[in-house]
Amino acid sequence: MASLIHCPHCGVRPKEEFSIRGDASLVRPDPDSSDETWNDYVHIRANPRGRYREHWQHVAGCRRWLVVERDTLTHEVFLVTDGSVRAWELGR
Amino acid sequence: MTAYRLPAGGLVDRAAALNFTFDGQVMQGFAGDTLASALLANDQVLVGRSFKYHRPRGIVTAGPSEPNALVTIGSDARTDPNTKATVAELYAGLEAKSQNRWPSLKHDIGALNGILSPFLSAGFYYKTFMWPAAFWEKVYEPIIRKAAGLGRAVLERDPETYEKCWAHCDLLIVGSGPTGLMAALVAGRAGLRVILADEGFRHGGSLLSETTPIDGAPATAFVETAIAELETFSNVTLMARTTVFGWYDDNVFGALERVQKHVAAPSSKLPVERVWRIAARRALIATGAEERPLVFGGNDRPGVMMAGALSTYTNRYGVAGGKSMAIFTSGSAGYRAAADLAAHGIDITAVIDSRADSTDVVASGTRIIRGGSVVDTKGRLRLSGVIVERSGFEENIDCDVLGMSGGFSPIIHLACQRGAKPVWSEALQAFVAPDVGAGLRLAGSAAGVYSLLACLKDGAEKSQAIIADLGLSTTSADLPAVGNELNPSFVSLWYVAGAKSKAFVDFQNDVHVKDLGLALREGFGHVEHAKRYTTNGMATDQGKLSNINAIGILSGMQGISPADVGTTTFRPFYTPVPFGALAGTSRDEHAAPKRVSPLHGWAAKNGAVFIDSGLWYRPSWFARAGEKTWRESVDREVLNVRANVGLCDVSTLGKIEVFGSDAAEFLNRLYCNPFLKLPVGKARYGLMLREDGMIYDDGTTSRLSDAHFLVTTTTALAGGVMSHMEYCAQVLWPELNVRFCSVSDQWAQMAIAGPKARLVVQALVEDDVSNVVFPFLAAKPVTLKGGLKARLFRISFSGELAYELAVPAGYGESVADAVMEAGKAHGICAYGLEALNVLRIEKGHVTHAELDGRVTPDDAGFGRMLSSQKADFIGKRLSTRFGLTAADRMQMVGLKPVDKDKDIRAGAHLLREGAKPSTLNDQGYVSSACYSPVLGQFIALAFLKSGRERYGEKVVVWDRLRGEETLAEVCNPVFVDPANSKLNA
Amino acid sequence: MVHQFQERHALEELVPLEAAASADHLAVVVRQAIVTVLAADGHERAVASVLSSDEDISVRFSAPGEWLVVSGAQTPELLHQALSALLGETAYCIDQSHGRVLLRLSGPNARAILAKGVGIDLHPSAFQIGQSANVLCAHISINLALVGGDQFEIIVMRSFAESLLHDLRQMGRAFDLSVSFSP
Repeated sequence: MASLIHCPHCGVRPKEEFSIRGDASLVRPDPDSSDETWNDYVHIRANPRGRYREHWQHVAGCRRWLVVERDTLTHEVFLVTDGSVRAWELGR
Repeated sequence: MTAYRLPAGGLVDRAAALNFTFDGQVMQGFAGDTLASALLANDQVLVGRSFKYHRPRGIVTAGPSEPNALVTIGSDARTDPNTKATVAELYAGLEAKSQNRWPSLKHDIGALNGILSPFLSAGFYYKTFMWPAAFWEKVYEPIIRKAAGLGRAVLERDPETYEKCWAHCDLLIVGSGPTGLMAALVAGRAGLRVILADEGFRHGGSLLSETTPIDGAPATAFVETAIAELETFSNVTLMARTTVFGWYDDNVFGALERVQKHVAAPSSKLPVERVWRIAARRALIATGAEERPLVFGGNDRPGVMMAGALSTYTNRYGVAGGKSMAIFTSGSAGYRAAADLAAHGIDITAVIDSRADSTDVVASGTRIIRGGSVVDTKGRLRLSGVIVERSGFEENIDCDVLGMSGGFSPIIHLACQRGAKPVWSEALQAFVAPDVGAGLRLAGSAAGVYSLLACLKDGAEKSQAIIADLGLSTTSADLPAVGNELNPSFVSLWYVAGAKSKAFVDFQNDVHVKDLGLALREGFGHVEHAKRYTTNGMATDQGKLSNINAIGILSGMQGISPADVGTTTFRPFYTPVPFGALAGTSRDEHAAPKRVSPLHGWAAKNGAVFIDSGLWYRPSWFARAGEKTWRESVDREVLNVRANVGLCDVSTLGKIEVFGSDAAEFLNRLYCNPFLKLPVGKARYGLMLREDGMIYDDGTTSRLSDAHFLVTTTTALAGGVMSHMEYCAQVLWPELNVRFCSVSDQWAQMAIAGPKARLVVQALVEDDVSNVVFPFLAAKPVTLKGGLKARLFRISFSGELAYELAVPAGYGESVADAVMEAGKAHGICAYGLEALNVLRIEKGHVTHAELDGRVTPDDAGFGRMLSSQKADFIGKRLSTRFGLTAADRMQMVGLKPVDKDKDIRAGAHLLREGAKPSTLNDQGYVSSACYSPVLGQFIALAFLKSGRERYGEKVVVWDRLRGEETLAEVCNPVFVDPANSKLNA
Repeated sequence: MVHQFQERHALEELVPLEAAASADHLAVVVRQAIVTVLAADGHERAVASVLSSDEDISVRFSAPGEWLVVSGAQTPELLHQALSALLGETAYCIDQSHGRVLLRLSGPNARAILAKGVGIDLHPSAFQIGQSANVLCAHISINLALVGGDQFEIIVMRSFAESLLHDLRQMGRAFDLSVSFSP
């Protein structure tokens, strides 16, 4: 029916404005990395219960990719940050 | 005649008589009645037949928990089955029909099911009809479906309109009884943005049937004063006829407002129902408590009603359910009801109290049987008396109504809809809401506070706490004076021993005590299993009356506490919500937005037949006079493009402008083929891969200046590619200096294709478009004759000499008209998606029919495009894995039927000649097929194992769906102009 | 052959040129100039400050470093040129005047009408004059701005304008919302 996401750029918005990509902890491997590393990056996903960081895009708003940290069981959202800010932080 | 309208009293407007019909019989009620109160006033106690046994059933409650009084209201397309008569507001001309009876309510042959009831016990569906399997579908199910059930939906299109709406508030108060009203007054005075919602058509909740005076005046006067004050606050919104049905994430509540369910002829300006999404910073649930029925022999006889409902009917609606009533109670509330009824002159023949040691009294000196219990009821379609047992002795007591009161359960549904489980309170003998955080609190009877004064106080205090919690200041609340209240204590009585006939737990689903025992014995004792096995608590009322007794019975049978049995899961919706209301205005052609091309008007006046293409509405073909089939039109368009020239709307392609000093580097990483050295003024075909090495999308990208590119995408993936690029730029490579934005809607774009295209284009464009100055893949800004700035691209999907001309969207139609005018001398025609598809299949060009997510560049014949020079690009690493370079991968080929008269269809599979048709022998599949008017036969693009080595081989095209097998020859997928001489002309 | 090309509005023939205006009115703006401004990396603040100091234009927030600049007075070409000159290397300016449709919704019930499609809180204390946002209106992305007390401006992609118009008419029917073109 509804849920609300606090976009750091646009404020509180209904979830319909967003699309979800998945695990935000993944770091794109170096092109020379091993088959296993690439296989993990492209194909292997955990499905954790509890706190999880995901990439959500505010498609109908600012179109920024965001990192939404939430509980997959209760859908309590703890923190929403801009994806590129976070990418810089991770030193990508 | 036993039930009747009292000569005076109640909140109905006796000056406003309303005629309505029940099963065709004309009856009269008053404004302010529910259908149920009006039926009672007309002595219509029998209102339906039960689900399984077709037992006669009467009105039980005066509210939304009603299990029996489900009727069909309206006629023809405006028919609402399973409407609760107890909440349906009466209006003039209302047509109601009883349900699940044949041929009539009084004479129902389905009642035979009652005689067969030993065979219809819990789980009978699972046990009885298991064999033979064919019998289930053909015999048992149709019979059961005919015999069991509630109202029937109509098949006509729903003529009503619905809508959805958002609301935002600091405090949502659910329920406008004493608790909610007091809370709203306090919060409203403090300046909070308050929404007060109540499911009733009149605010006041239980106060509307309350006899205890408030501040020395009737409770209804308090309601009127409170509502009048709330109406003066601009920060308070009062919503009557609004059921808050669900609590969702982030404190968003769903509510259904019945805007025009109470009018005979709805205004077309308003929806009939409206779904609200209410984002509330805080919510206070003041939904009150539900009185519990008692489970005793024959307790489903029409005339057995909730004691509180009897009070409501007399006090609020001025209706007596009968002339002589008995009350069966396990608590003090039964005495309160008896006093209310006696005050209206109704004869109370006895109050039967299950408690031997109670001290409650009724002022009127009514007979009280302490330690007694009802063990059976008498009467057929209507109660005529009860059999009371005390200390081993039985006694007949005549009455036409029996009120029952088994204590109270707080209504906590909303608080438990997000996973938190109700908690058993030994003190309250009820399940109460767990602590679900600051966003939602319960107050009043919903929190187990039962006396009127305590409810008013609790509403005020909880409201003050919320105001403080939100950081605002509050004033002290003046509580009104309330006198002479009765004590609401009770003892739990889950079922009455010694029943002489069926004792029903769930009236709506015909579940009786023995069914629960059977469930337990057969291993379905867990409360969730018992629900499914017996159907207790299912269907429209979701066990609002029955669940608590079922839990109590299951606990009693096992000798454990109700806390150990627990409850079934609470889920939205609290009461049923129509699908139409959930869809709102998003229905029929407006289910999704329609996107309209800037060339739509041009296409329409040229005879386009349109087709839905994603959200777009695109020309499929352009029919001309005399053309009898779509194929005639398409063949003409194709041949004309190949021979002369045609114009096609390609405005729907995604267009993205890319800027920045790293724009070239960005595109170079995005596409699998190189883009760093693309010259300014040139376009290049590009393939984007997914990270797994499969093709994602294709299109041409042009370099408009050193640091300015124009990317085009397919129509289907315009949005997806944009998101993908944003992900790459923002998350993967934030260090790149690149910015981009979509310009898809800014430009009208038309493909002008055919050997005579240059003549047409040159007639409009100032700049030289000759092959020398403007060769294949040229891409430049141009000026149209007359001065309009445009963009011209020498690209071709059809394989012909072709240009794509882009102009600002508003000029699109006018320019397209000019192109047609200029092309007249050269035989120009408009062509649509179908012809475009034939042209590209003939040329072996791919679309998403080929690029379906399982295809690598090499599979599609683009192996050479995969750059080995680039250090990295999306999809590079996994393109090299073993499976994607295997020699027997399916490769794109062309197919031609050996027999020229045969056709081929997309989706068919390929087999070696002589191989058994089986998926084990699968050699590939047909991705696109069409009739080629140029070749005069069907042709196809297909993916075939090691296909490029197999040109000349014959394969069987196996269409399993149509049972067809066609022999076809494998060939090069470029059927027309493989040397590209037309393209480069 | 020299052509005088005619401009066609996305809502031509769907909206009357003139109509008696109800208290709640939807004006479809016939001609406007709209330019997307993308700040070059590192210039976001500078561009924002230059744009906000220009009183001849109206600036609508789209995203960090991205705005829609609206002018009722200038032609698309002139606005594009003026912004390009003003911002130089600090930003990229893209003309969207043909790709967007501008609608002006005004009246005492404007908020109630919008609430039927827009999920954000439009209460005057929450969405103030001069504020703008990219939001979803039912299924369609729009840019919504409060330009006066009860006057909103909506910018929508051209291809969605017809559907949005239909939706707004539905949303406004309870209030007799009138619709007409406006210069």
